Amino acid sequence: MLTILYQSVFLQKTVLKITAEFYRMIELQNISLQLNDRKLFDKLSVEVPAGGRLLILGGSGSGKTTLLRMLLGFVLPDSGKILIDGEELTLENVWSLRQKMAYVSQEMQIGRGKAETFIKEVFKFRNNRKISYDRSKVLSLLEDFQLNSGTLDKDLEEISGGELQRFAIIVTLLLDRKIYLMDEATSALDEPLKKLIVSYFDNMDNKTLIISSHDNVWHKQNYSILNLEEHGSST
Amino acid sequence: MEAAPDIHILRLLAGFGLLLIPVGLSLLVRLGIIGQLMISVGRMTGQLFLMSIVLIYLFRWDNPLINIAWVIVMIFFACLSAMVNSKLSFRSFFVPVFLAYFVGAGFVLLFFNKIIVNHENIFTARLLVVIGGMLLGNSLNSAIIGISHYYESIRKDNKRYLYLLSLGATQNEALLPFFRDAMLAALKPFMANMATMGLVSLPGMMTGQILGGAAPETAIKYQIAILLAIFTAVTISVSLSIYFTSRRAFNAYGVLKKDFFKS
Repeated sequence: MLTILYQSVFLQKTVLKITAEFYRMIELQNISLQLNDRKLFDKLSVEVPAGGRLLILGGSGSGKTTLLRMLLGFVLPDSGKILIDGEELTLENVWSLRQKMAYVSQEMQIGRGKAETFIKEVFKFRNNRKISYDRSKVLSLLEDFQLNSGTLDKDLEEISGGELQRFAIIVTLLLDRKIYLMDEATSALDEPLKKLIVSYFDNMDNKTLIISSHDNVWHKQNYSILNLEEHGSST
Repeated sequence: MEAAPDIHILRLLAGFGLLLIPVGLSLLVRLGIIGQLMISVGRMTGQLFLMSIVLIYLFRWDNPLINIAWVIVMIFFACLSAMVNSKLSFRSFFVPVFLAYFVGAGFVLLFFNKIIVNHENIFTARLLVVIGGMLLGNSLNSAIIGISHYYESIRKDNKRYLYLLSLGATQNEALLPFFRDAMLAALKPFMANMATMGLVSLPGMMTGQILGGAAPETAIKYQIAILLAIFTAVTISVSLSIYFTSRRAFNAYGVLKKDFFKS
C-alpha cells in the first residue's frame, strides 16, 4: 500500500494520509480535542481505506484510547469531522454506525456468568437478532485462538486475562463487523498468541483494522503508523 | 402480658455510666474516639428525646394529614443523610431518589397497613409514623448502596459498558447487566440477614413489641411482615431511582455524564 506521510512544521499538527485509490472507511478531518486542560489533538487528520491497517503508537496519556473511543462516538471532538464508511458521525447515526465497528480493549471485564450464556445474550440484542447463533462457528473460532471448548462452560469472572481477551475478540468476530478497533487488545497474551492474533487478522483483508498497541508484533510492513507521542508520524 | 416498666431518669443516667468502660479503654490504648463518642451519644440522646416529644403530639393529635406530612419529612431527612454518605451528586440525585422513595416506601407502607394489618384507619400515627420509620430506617441504606453501585460500576467498568454497546446492544441492553449487579448488591446482604434472623439476632421490632407487652406470636407476625415490606421497598426504590435518573445521566451518545458524581 502506498503511504505518504506528511509532518507539519507546526508541532501538534498532524496529517497522516494513506493515499490510494481505495474507498475511505475511516476519515478524521481536522480533529481537535482538549481534555483536562491538555491539548490531545490539534487538527489531526487521518484516512484509513477499506481493508487498511493503522497502528497508533504513543505512551500512556497520549490519546490512543481517546482516539479509538472518538471513532465510536463515546468522546466528541471539540472541532473537526469524523466519517465512518462515508457517513459523518452525528447524533442521528451514531447508534447505527457503531454496528459497523467492533471494539476490544485491554483488561476488560465483560460480564458475569457462563461464557456461552454471554454469547447467547449478545445474539439476543435487538440489533443482532438477524444473526443466528452458530455453535459450530464458535467452536471453530475457539480452536483458531487456541482456547478449548470447555471455555464456554467457564464463568467469565474465573477466566484468565489472556483467555478473556481472546474470548472478547471471538465474540466480535461472530458479529462480523467491517471495522475492528483494538485498544491494547493483545497486551495480556504471550508472544506466540500475539502472533497468532496478528496473523488471523492478516488473513482477513476485507476488515479495516485500527490498533493501539505496544506490542512489536503489530509492526508490520503493510501497517500505517500514527505516532501520537511525536504529534507527527513515522513509518 | 404486661408492658415493660418505665425506666427512672436517674437509672437511665446510670446507663450512661456504662460508657466509662469504652472511655477507659480509649484512654488506655489511645483510640482517640472520646470526642466523637460524646458528640454521637449527645446527638442520639437529643434526637430521640425530640422524637419522643414529636411522637407524643403525633399520637395526641392523630391527624392523618399531619401524619402523612411527617412521613414525608422523614423520607426527606432519610434521603438527605443517605446522600451525604454517598459519592453521588446531590443536585442530580436528590429529587429522583426522594420521588422513588416516596412511591416505593409509600406503596409498601399503605399495603402493610391496609392489607396485612387491616386497620380501619391506615393513616393513624401508630401505624403510619412508626411502621414508616421502620421501613425507611431499614431500607434507605440498602437502596443507596444499590444506586451508588449502579453508577459507580458503570463509571469504573466503563470498558464493559462500551464493549456491550459496540456489540450492538441498545443503551438499555448494555445497562441491564449493571442493573442486575446493583440489585444484587442492594438485596443480597438483606437476604443473608433474613436467613439468619432469630438465630443470631433478635430483630428490633419484635423485641420492642414484646417489651411493650405484645404476645410473642403477634410480635413475630409483625416482624415477618416488616421484613418482607422492607425487602420490597428496597426493590422498588432502587429500580425507580435508577429509572428516574437514567434518562438524565447519559448524553444522547450514551455516555455517562461526569457531573453525576461529587467532584
